[in-house]
Formats: sequence, C-alpha cells, structure tokens
Amino acid sequence: MKRGLLSLLLLSFWFGTASVSAEELIIYSGRSDKFVKPVVKAFTAKTGIKVVLHTGSSTALLNKLKLEAERTSADLYISNDAGNLQKGSDLKLFSSLDEKSVDSIPQDYRAADNSWVGLSARARVLVVNSKDESVAAIKSVFELADPKLKGKLAITHSSNESYIAGTTVYLRATDEKKVKQWLVGMKKNVDGSVYNKHSKIVKAVASGRKSIGLVNHYYIYRHLKKKPNASIKIVLPDQGKDDIGVAWNVAGAAVVKHSSKQQAAKQFIEYMVSEAGQKQFAEVNQEYPTRPGVSAAANVPPLSSYKVANVPMRDLGKYRNATLDIIESVGMP
Amino acid sequence: MFAQLVRFDWNTRSVLATLVVLLASVPLIYVVINSGQLSFPQWTNLWSARLPELLTNTLTLALLVALGSFVLGVSSAWLITRRDFVGRRLAVWLMILPLTIPTYVFAHIYTTLTEDDGWLGAIWIGLFGPDNHPPELYNVFGAAFILSLAGFSYVFLLVSDALSRSRVDIEEAAQLHGLSPRQVFWRISLPMLRPAIAAGLALVVLHVVSDFGAVSMLRFQTFTLSIYLQMEGRHNLEAAAGLSLVLVLLSLSFLILERFFRDRQRYYSAAQAQKPKRRRATRMELIFIWFWLGGITLFAFALPLAWMLAWTYEAWLQSLITEEFWGYVQNSLIVSVAAASLATVAAFPVALFHARLRNRISQGYLHLASIGFVLPGPVIALGILSFVLSMLPWIYGTMIVLLLAMLIRFLPLAVQAQEASVQQLSPSIEEAGRSLGARPWENLTRIVIPVLRTGLVSAWVLVFIDTLKELPATLLLRPTGFDTLPVRIWIEASEEMLELAAPASLMLMIGTLPVIWFLMRQHDAASK
Repeated sequence: MKRGLLSLLLLSFWFGTASVSAEELIIYSGRSDKFVKPVVKAFTAKTGIKVVLHTGSSTALLNKLKLEAERTSADLYISNDAGNLQKGSDLKLFSSLDEKSVDSIPQDYRAADNSWVGLSARARVLVVNSKDESVAAIKSVFELADPKLKGKLAITHSSNESYIAGTTVYLRATDEKKVKQWLVGMKKNVDGSVYNKHSKIVKAVASGRKSIGLVNHYYIYRHLKKKPNASIKIVLPDQGKDDIGVAWNVAGAAVVKHSSKQQAAKQFIEYMVSEAGQKQFAEVNQEYPTRPGVSAAANVPPLSSYKVANVPMRDLGKYRNATLDIIESVGMP
Repeated sequence: MFAQLVRFDWNTRSVLATLVVLLASVPLIYVVINSGQLSFPQWTNLWSARLPELLTNTLTLALLVALGSFVLGVSSAWLITRRDFVGRRLAVWLMILPLTIPTYVFAHIYTTLTEDDGWLGAIWIGLFGPDNHPPELYNVFGAAFILSLAGFSYVFLLVSDALSRSRVDIEEAAQLHGLSPRQVFWRISLPMLRPAIAAGLALVVLHVVSDFGAVSMLRFQTFTLSIYLQMEGRHNLEAAAGLSLVLVLLSLSFLILERFFRDRQRYYSAAQAQKPKRRRATRMELIFIWFWLGGITLFAFALPLAWMLAWTYEAWLQSLITEEFWGYVQNSLIVSVAAASLATVAAFPVALFHARLRNRISQGYLHLASIGFVLPGPVIALGILSFVLSMLPWIYGTMIVLLLAMLIRFLPLAVQAQEASVQQLSPSIEEAGRSLGARPWENLTRIVIPVLRTGLVSAWVLVFIDTLKELPATLLLRPTGFDTLPVRIWIEASEEMLELAAPASLMLMIGTLPVIWFLMRQHDAASK
C-alpha cells in the first residue's frame, strides 16, 4: 500500500516537471547534446524561446517522426547526416523554408525545395600513423582496398551514417562497379573486425594497432587536442587532377511539417544560418560552416586548400537505398 | 483440448489473466502481421542472405556464454554453499553485484580498458612489449566474455539456492559407498542440480539472444542487432518482423527445453531430512577459494567499479554533475518503481491462473506471457508504438506508453518469480479463511498477501532492476525530453564522453543496491 502511494507521489512529481509549456520548441536532435547545447543557449538568450532537446540517433528519430506523423510533438529535426534530411523531405515530413531566409547557404547544401538546410560540413578523410612507412604513399580512398593493407585497415561498421553517406558520394562520383570492388577489397582487409566508433579508429591508428583508417576529419583533431604528440596525421584523399576530391557530408536542420509552432521554429533556423549561429554550430565540433565567409576553426585544413567531390548533398538521401543495396550485397560487416 | 475449453470458467481470475496475456501478446501480433506482408521471394531472400550467418553467430554466442556462465556460476555457487570460510557472506554479495551493471556498460568499459592506453591494455603491453597489442573485443569471444560476466550471476543465484536445499543424505550415502568427493560432485550433486542449472542457463541464453546493448557496442551481428539495423538503417519493418519471428521460434525452443528440465525438478526435491552442512575450509582451500572468487570479482565487478569511480571523479572535478543529472536519476527511479509495481500486480492473475488450472491453456498463457523475454526490446517497442498509435492515440507521448512496454518486456520475470509462492496458496487456505468469516479484502490482506510475500518481493525487485537498466524500448518510447540514466549513458558513450557516461553508470549501480539488499534479506529469512 505504501509502495502504491509512493509511486503515485512520484508520478505526480513527474507530471509536474516534464510538462512542456507553450513557448518551448522541441527538437529531435541526432547530434550530440554537447555540440547543440551552446548554440541553443545562445538562441534562447537572444529570442527568449526555450528549447527542449530530445536526443537520439538521426535515423531512429527520423523513423519516429515518420511513425508519429501528425501526432508528433517535435517542432524541429536536427540530423548529423544529409541523407536522413533528404529522406525526411522525400517523406514530406518537413515544411519548406522561404528562399530568402536560407539563401546565404549555397544550393548544394540544402534541399531543392528548401525543406532542410545544411549547417555544418565534415570531410571524409584518411587518418594514417605517421611512423608507418608502409602507408605513407596512400593518396586515395580507393587504395584502401589494396590487399597489402590486410589487417592494417580500420573502418566503422557499415550502418554508420557517415560511412553510408561517404559511400554514396563515391558512388555518385564514380560508378557502381568501382564502389563494389572497393568494398569487397576493404571487407577482405578488415577480416570481420570493424569499429563501432570513429574515435576508436583514430586511437587504434595512433597506437599503431592499425596503420590507416577512414574517418570524419574532426575525430583526428579531437584526438590531437587531448594528445598533441600522437603519431597521426590527416591525409586529404583523391586530390589529383582527375581525382574525385574529398567526400563531404553536412549536418543540418528542418522544420517539422506537423509542428504547431512554425514561426518560432523558422526563427530557430534563421538564427542557425546567421553568422553568429553558423560560427557556433560548426566550431564546437571543428566542422566547416556551410555559409561562405564564415571561417572554420583555425586548426582544420582551410576549405580553399583542397578539392571537394562535386556531389550535391541531397543525393545522399536520393541514393541512400542504392548504397545500402550495394553494401548489403557485398555483406560488409 | 476441446473438453478443456468447455470447462474453462470465466471468473474474475481468468478474465484478468486473459487481459494481461492479451496485452503481452501485442508485440507478437504485430510481428506476425508485419512479417505476413513479406512476399515469398522476400522470405527466401532473407533466408538465404541473412539467416545462416545470423543463426551461426547467435547460437555460437549463446553456447559460449552458457559455457562461461556455467563455469563461473556453478563453481562459485558450490564453493560458497559447501565451504565455510572467512568472508563467505561478502562473497555471496560479490557474486550478485555484477547484475547491477548493464551489458552495454560492461561492453563500453572493457573496450576502453583494452585499448593500448587503457588500464588492461597498458599492462598487456608492459608484459608483452609494445608490438603486441591487447586482444580486441569486437568478435564472438569478446561478446561472450562480456555477456558471461554480465550474466553468470543468474546461474549462481539459482544453483546456490538449489544447493542449499539439496539432499545431502544422498551425497553422504554415496560417500559411504566409497565415492571420492570429486565423483560425488560429478555423479550425484551435478545431476541433482540439473533443473536449477537449466533454469539459470535458460535465463542467461534468453538474455544473450535478446541482448541489444553489448552486441551493438561490440558490433557482433546477432539476430537482435540485425533486426535493429533493418529497422534503423532501412526502415524495413517487414524484414525486421520476419527476422523477429524466426527469433521467437528459436527462443521458444529454449523455453520449452527449460520447462522440460524444470518440470522434473519435483521428482528431485523431496522433503528434506537434513540441512546441508558447510565444511570449514582448510587453509589451502581458503587460498584457492579466494583466488578463484577474487578473480571473478576482479573482472565482473571490481574493475568496472574502479573505472566508474575514476571517471566520475573526473566528471566531478570538471563539475559536470549538474542539476540535470539528478533529473535523469529521478526519471529512472520513477519509471522503474512504476513498472515494477505494475508488473508485479499484472503477473499475479497469470501466475494464479496457472497454479490453479495446470492445463494446456494455462501453460499456453504462461508461454504468451513470456513474449517479453523472447522478442528483442526494439521490436517490442515498435509493436507497442504501432498498437498505441492505431488504437489508443490519446495516450501517445505520455509515460503510460513507456510503462506498457516495460510491463510487457519484464512480465515473464514477475510471473516466474511469483509462480512458486502462488503454488503454496492452496484454495483450501483461502476457503478456511472465508469459512471463519473473513471478508474478501480481509482474506487478501491477512492470508493471500502474507503467503505471497516472498514471490511478490522478488518479482518487484527483479523487474525494478531490469527496468532501471532498460535501453532500447526507452530510447524509442520515452516522452519528449524525458531522459533516463541508460539513455544518457548511451548518448554520452556514443560520443565518447567517458566522464559523462561514468556517473550515470555508477548511479545505476547504486540505485540497485538497496533492492538487492532487500531481496537477500528476504532470501536469508526464507532459508532459515
């Protein structure tokens, strides 16, 4: 009996604390809290609009939005991956934004109908052990399929969003046959053992356990920040005259169509594409702001210094299933 | 069968039991409907492309974990129940405490410890030189290692319970007839323990098969992980349901196997004449016992605890333990207390129904109530989500949905825990009460509940512990912005924020301690 009373008491407590008031925006966020909170705080300070973060994986949250449809309580969706954003657009989950409020962001980094906008970009790069001569000459991601890297290669599992997005870029920039061969070669090289996190790949390369890995650029700088003398270096792949360039992916945001707070949600997006919002959003994670003229953190390779693959970010959604089909047909772990 | 149906009488008890079982079957119905949408070619494709590998992986892992838990659980149970030694009471605790650490925390900690700069990695390199890297855990052995450490306590609990109630006279008789102690163990004690070992291993295997946390951290492709990836990556709910259906059949065969062993238990545990005596350990034995139990404790509890403390201290130094953190603690407690109370109440009619009827229908009810153990958490969550959105949309987004999922997931634990004590509640006791003039309410509070106390308490505690650690269903079904400790651990660990994941893990453990203490006290009182 006492227990029943106690739980009732606790329940009432919960209804008291978790109820969401009218002037709050709810964001389904697929990006780490740590990188979203600073910019959210600044937004609240500027506009007085409070924000509740509901954090999870980008894909799971998109699935949730789809299942909830008009019953969703979300006002905004933030994803770490353009593929999910475009998928959400295709599913008609988002509202289109005015061209004028997002025209500071280049067209390749937002949806054709402006139903989502890319906010920060990450580069898909190679991390190599700087003491290991055997991998010093590698200049292309496609060389990762070379049999001489057997046992030396570190990649993530194939359901990682960045991995899938990168593969889509390579698929669009080359062709299916080449990508398939590449995956088959990498599969042999890793021999069933893949990593669950990019940070573990960087660590494995730094310790010499592996010689080379395929990661997003900021994981390298995050590691170097903790251990400035780590024996790793970044290689920006595929920079030759006829090469495809570095694969990019963007994190971005969208206004949920069924949200009843369209105006406040649009205000949030407008803040995110403003110079101040851009700087904050990208800098906390050492990414590239998508707005031209806003510079990235000083320690990452400047954008002007390398070639980026010429694939619009919306393709990451359009060709996502095609990529998954190839990955599955190869049976990547 | 038909005759039984006719005799089925619709009193309150059976109506309630039927309602609970219907609710528990929601995810199964969802799985059957969704997998029914797979076309024949899709099935054959699934069958040929995925199943052989998934079956091999899942069964290999289950076998290895069963083996690991058997060795750890049976050996420790035997040493603790048959020898008296310094620190025996402490040892009992040490063998149970690993239950307070969720599998995903184990996996996270051990992958960190075995990196080159982790504690274990550094020792390894110190021993074998910088060119020998410590073994990686991203394979079947790593997963088996983690899940054995996280699960052997179930075997320990059930086997030590059986050992402390076993027939010592038979063992003594065997000894008198000239069997050596070792022969007595292998030929008398072990066969008598078979039902307890089977029950413990079944529990472990079911946890392995439906485990999501460890295999997703270690990226070992089992059924559950693959189902999750189908749902997540491709939003292919039909394929996920198809795989789930196969998994259900697989787990069901484990359950039936376990029932088969357990039903023979009645034959073995006759009224006992004599309580087993614990022989005082010799000095050599004492050294061996503590070497062995200490070794188990080191890996299953001490190292993870030390890791949590070290990083929590770090978080404290950086003042990262904020007000929000205590909010997560509060959320976790609310869900766990509510789910445990709900499941304990809901399990009662089902257990009673079976205890009174003991026929095929009640047996079927019991199996249906076990769905939560058989289906992976993400699938249960999705089943509930679809059910609520189509049938009860007005409760969507509230905590009721989350509690429903917890209820279904952990109902089997509550039913199992209550089954034994419900059996003691023979109708004649109730009738005696009634004939002496007790009203229904009085009957309930003065007769029924006291008899059921042990069962109710263990049911509550077991569900509380598992809800506190629950991850996949909470991730999907929690109300907006309602983060629990496991959700936070998952979020922080996926971004490598060790100093943020550690305090939450530590709090989970601390939260479990009082209820375990309560369970142990209850247990001691019952065995005295």
